[in-house]
Amino acid sequence: MARSPLILVALISLIPLLCHSFSPETPTGRRILVLVDDLAVKSSQSLYFKSLSSRGYELDFKLADDPKIALQRYGQYLYDGLVLFCPTVERFGGSIDQAAILDFVDSGHDLIIAADVQSSDLIREIATECGADFDEDPAAMVIDHINYAVSENEGDHTVIASDNLIKSDVILGSSKIEAPVLFQGIGHSLNPANSLVFKVLSASPATYSANPKSKLSSPPALTGSAISLVSVMQARNNARILISGSLSMFSNRFFRSGVQKAQSSTKHEKSGNEQFLTEISKWVFHERGHLKAVNVKHHKVGEEDEPAVYRIKDDLEYSVEIYEWSGSSWEPYVADDVQVQFYMMSPYVLKTLTSDKKGVYSTSFKVPDVYGVFQFKVEYEKLGYTTLSLSKQIPVRPFKHNEYERFIPAAYPYYGAAFSMMVGFFLFSFVHLYSK
Amino acid sequence: MAAEPRWGSGGGAAALLLLLLVAAASICHAASNFLPVSDAHRSAALELFAPVDGSFGSLEETSEALQSFDILGIERRTNVRGSTCSSAVEVLGSSSSPVKDVFYALKVSSLLKCDVRQSQLEAIASRLKSVPSDASSLNDFYYSIGGLVLIKNQIPVVDVLLEDADKVFQAIKALSQSDGRWRYSSDNPVSSTYAAGMALETLAGVISLASNEIGQSRIDAVKNDILKLFDSIEKYDDGTFYFDEKVDGVGPLATTSSVVQGLTAFASTASGRVKLPEDNILGLTKYFLSIGIPGDAKEFFNQVNSLSCLENSRVSVPLILALPATVVSLTNKDKLKVRVTTALGSRSPPLKVKLVRAFISGSKDASVIENQELIFDSEGAFHILDLLPTSIDVGKYTFVFEIVLQDSEDAKVYVTGGQTKVPVYISAIIKIENAEISVLDSDLGSVDTQKKLNLGKEDDVSLAANHLQKLRLSFQLSTPHGHAFKPHQAILKLKHEKAEHIFLVGNSGKKFQVILDFLGLVEKFFYLSGRYDIQLSIGDAVMENSFCQDLGHVELDLPEAPEKAPRPAAQPDDPFSKYGPKAEISHIFRAPEKRPSENLSLAFLALTLLPFLGFLVGLLKLGVNLKNFPSAPVPAMFAILFHVGIGSILALYALFWLKLDLFTTLKALGLLGVFVMFVGHRILSHLASTSSKLKSA
Amino acid sequence: MARSTGEDAQALFHSLRSAYAATPKNLKIIDLYVAFAVFTALIQVAYMAMVGSFPFNSFLSGILSCTGTAVLAVCLRIQVNKENKEFKDLPPERAYADFVLCNLVLHLVIMNFLG
Repeated sequence: MARSPLILVALISLIPLLCHSFSPETPTGRRILVLVDDLAVKSSQSLYFKSLSSRGYELDFKLADDPKIALQRYGQYLYDGLVLFCPTVERFGGSIDQAAILDFVDSGHDLIIAADVQSSDLIREIATECGADFDEDPAAMVIDHINYAVSENEGDHTVIASDNLIKSDVILGSSKIEAPVLFQGIGHSLNPANSLVFKVLSASPATYSANPKSKLSSPPALTGSAISLVSVMQARNNARILISGSLSMFSNRFFRSGVQKAQSSTKHEKSGNEQFLTEISKWVFHERGHLKAVNVKHHKVGEEDEPAVYRIKDDLEYSVEIYEWSGSSWEPYVADDVQVQFYMMSPYVLKTLTSDKKGVYSTSFKVPDVYGVFQFKVEYEKLGYTTLSLSKQIPVRPFKHNEYERFIPAAYPYYGAAFSMMVGFFLFSFVHLYSK
Repeated sequence: MAAEPRWGSGGGAAALLLLLLVAAASICHAASNFLPVSDAHRSAALELFAPVDGSFGSLEETSEALQSFDILGIERRTNVRGSTCSSAVEVLGSSSSPVKDVFYALKVSSLLKCDVRQSQLEAIASRLKSVPSDASSLNDFYYSIGGLVLIKNQIPVVDVLLEDADKVFQAIKALSQSDGRWRYSSDNPVSSTYAAGMALETLAGVISLASNEIGQSRIDAVKNDILKLFDSIEKYDDGTFYFDEKVDGVGPLATTSSVVQGLTAFASTASGRVKLPEDNILGLTKYFLSIGIPGDAKEFFNQVNSLSCLENSRVSVPLILALPATVVSLTNKDKLKVRVTTALGSRSPPLKVKLVRAFISGSKDASVIENQELIFDSEGAFHILDLLPTSIDVGKYTFVFEIVLQDSEDAKVYVTGGQTKVPVYISAIIKIENAEISVLDSDLGSVDTQKKLNLGKEDDVSLAANHLQKLRLSFQLSTPHGHAFKPHQAILKLKHEKAEHIFLVGNSGKKFQVILDFLGLVEKFFYLSGRYDIQLSIGDAVMENSFCQDLGHVELDLPEAPEKAPRPAAQPDDPFSKYGPKAEISHIFRAPEKRPSENLSLAFLALTLLPFLGFLVGLLKLGVNLKNFPSAPVPAMFAILFHVGIGSILALYALFWLKLDLFTTLKALGLLGVFVMFVGHRILSHLASTSSKLKSA
Repeated sequence: MARSTGEDAQALFHSLRSAYAATPKNLKIIDLYVAFAVFTALIQVAYMAMVGSFPFNSFLSGILSCTGTAVLAVCLRIQVNKENKEFKDLPPERAYADFVLCNLVLHLVIMNFLG
């Protein structure tokens, strides 16, 4: 019986843990589970893990087939992010399996998957669910005889120096990655039906995917720029997934190594891997590109309160505040392509909101002369940013009977006629009685 | 195996071990190239062991950092001596510090040569001497014995010898298991390889501290344990050996380095040789080298320390044969360089390197070169092989090297591992000739159009073909020595707006040719006619002039697709095109109906009032009068009231039109109406009576 | 025979004029009143034909006031006319009272519908 207060204390101490977890107020969760094939990965990719832990993440390293691993307990998720650095795992241990991982992503958490040569079917299936189809041949690697990294010790051109990066400041950071990125592993193609996944690091036209140790007997399935080396997906619930075909891309060896692309004479002191992967990890864990929109306000020009109903041809003002999460705080988001729609079955008015550089976006327009129930819709989709989908309903009524012009000039003759009849009647009534 | 005679200690006769190792046939393992410790290691060490606020952390971490720097020969630029020494001395001075801390404090002070008074050391020595007699766990033994050994090495004057060394030895040996592993303590049933390494090191310490010599039988028993332990050694395909632990949290590197430390410590103190299976020492060395540069400070220390133990041990010193560059270019007239050093990169004894044979990787053909000796370049300490005089051509080769020691005495000390297989890529510029592309008529084979190509430079041909014709591309590839060459990548791509098709270019000998028969490919091409861009990619790992070139385009005329023809797969969209601001929409308001101009309305207003004027004029013309107006005051008043009432009702109506609403009006009307009715009745009845009086009169 | 039709028309016109001159004065006043109403209505119709019937309610109101007035005046004339045998027993004051009442109701309706 002396254990029950202990249990109570233990339960209470869990509460601060919950405050550090993923929530709409702090989109960057702290706890990340890293599953590896063998613990040597912890040491050989230590620079990458150091970059994560120096930004405040708590990394929990576990072997992929450890029977004690679990993503959730009693319905609560224990981690806010998952990193799968276990390309050859056949079956996960504990309570983790492919369905559990996909549920994890469905509940809004982020995922990083690294495959490599001889990847297991399990890793390939998880990647296929996210829209990346790896080459079916397990021994295939990506080979490029023109864009390989010149090396004294690797002669089979499987280490590729690629600088075909996506042009997006939000995903890759605002400073340009000067040196090419080293990559050694397998390539994948993106499912064309999936509109949420896109290439971040793609291959050059001369790249192909084949087994370097044996001759090509049939045309390779993956060739050219259609091969993606590193892709990224942002799901509709804004969970972000990074899919990489190379685990060694994250290794200290590649981080520290210099790069010289074949057929080019520029020698870079340090490869672009560290900058590339650090920046993209920042994006995956919502330190960049995560928006929230608050304070939707609309009112008639000249008034302050939000009316319950608008009248047609009213002038109204609409404003919304958009903030971007910077990893530690919400900063005002500045852009010039946020648009609002005044929508009923189809947009009647679509206007671009102007920003005041402090995160407040506003515009004003005239209510159309159609009446019905409209919505103020902001559907903001930008590559690399979370989707904003706001909608506020507002009815629009026609003119009241006393809101028309009172005296219509075109009807003046009729007014005149009616009144002249009245006056005539008065005069006549008088005259008729007393005239002889 | 023949019975080995016992060798005395000190002789360190590695000859037998070497015999065992060398006598064994080279074990078949994959070709690999392990590079020894280099300057990259040294710079990584400085990064990993960077002191924070003047100290490396705990005493254990400090000792690891200092040892790593010493082994790698790095000068300790930062001044950590002051604070570290003071904390070490503090620990040593306190009599209640745990044994583990005392051990590390002693280690740090011996590395930094801190000032520790002899009396302090004597006090510690006597404390440590009392620990083994009632210690129960392996850790206690390890740290206390280790501490005593450190004191002995630092100041030999202090008495550290153990009276009951034999008893201590037995106590430690009692924790050993039958498979060569050790337990941590008598009540912990888990046996561990890591603990075995610790135990061996401790036993070595006991032997060196013993005042009376330990019996040979005991030492032999431990040697048997070592052999049993080495039965559980594991290996990778590339010839590296390691130990792994099933206990969670202790990785293979820590386990292997613990075993290596224990083994070398024991071998250096114990009399007699430890007979290890062949190739194990070299395999373990290669394992440590294969890790590259570890990213964790503890792992870095383990790696570097184990390599240093192996190098300085009396077991045998491994020599590593490594090629700094395994990619050699014939075009650049590169020479093949081989370097032989110890694992830590120090110089090897005088030796010669012989190329036993070189053959194309993966093939069973006869070797291209046999028995070639490499020339030693004393400047760069390389052994060089000039490839040009040989008939070696481009390709992926496996070179088999052998080290031949000059001095036979060295053979007792060093182990070379027999034959080392290294993969070598010999690359060169491949000659491309006779490149041409043509369109042929299907049946007859006659040439319709033919164009010469400049492969490797620029091309832009423009061809046209229909489905009854064929497209033929042909060229010739030859190596610098004139032999046929088949590149790994020989791909022809035809790119249409909606689909892409890939073909392999086949060859027979030097001639490469691909013929696309459009009649058979019509369905594969989804019946899509139009412009197809032609791209040719030729590449290989050993081809220095690989290219991926656009050759031009061909206008294909294919028949119409039938109903059930397959459609090409959808192409993925450019992600940026999906996102973007939409065109602005502004509502077009319904135009108000055309109104007449105000002037017109006003004009007609005037016109409408005209008839009223006409009415007035007409009344006057008719001679209207008020003769019938009652003269008596009361009826007159009623009459006036009557008309005023009517007027006021009409005024009420006007007011109603202007601003009142119906309810107010009706209320007022009710009142007025009653009034008017009353008054009207009076006046009309009066008028009626007057007119009837007139009539009757 | 054109001359005779012309002469006949003139003779007819003269006889009508002289016959009309014999009508009592109060009836002439009523006739004038009716003509006034009808003319006003005609002008309004001409206006509507030009600009369209935009405030249709106002147009109807205007027209109705004119036609209503005319109709009520004609009814009064019929009832007040001494030569009309049918209404011999109806006192003209009574007719007048009906006339005033109906007109007041008419004008209320007109004012409401004028807008």
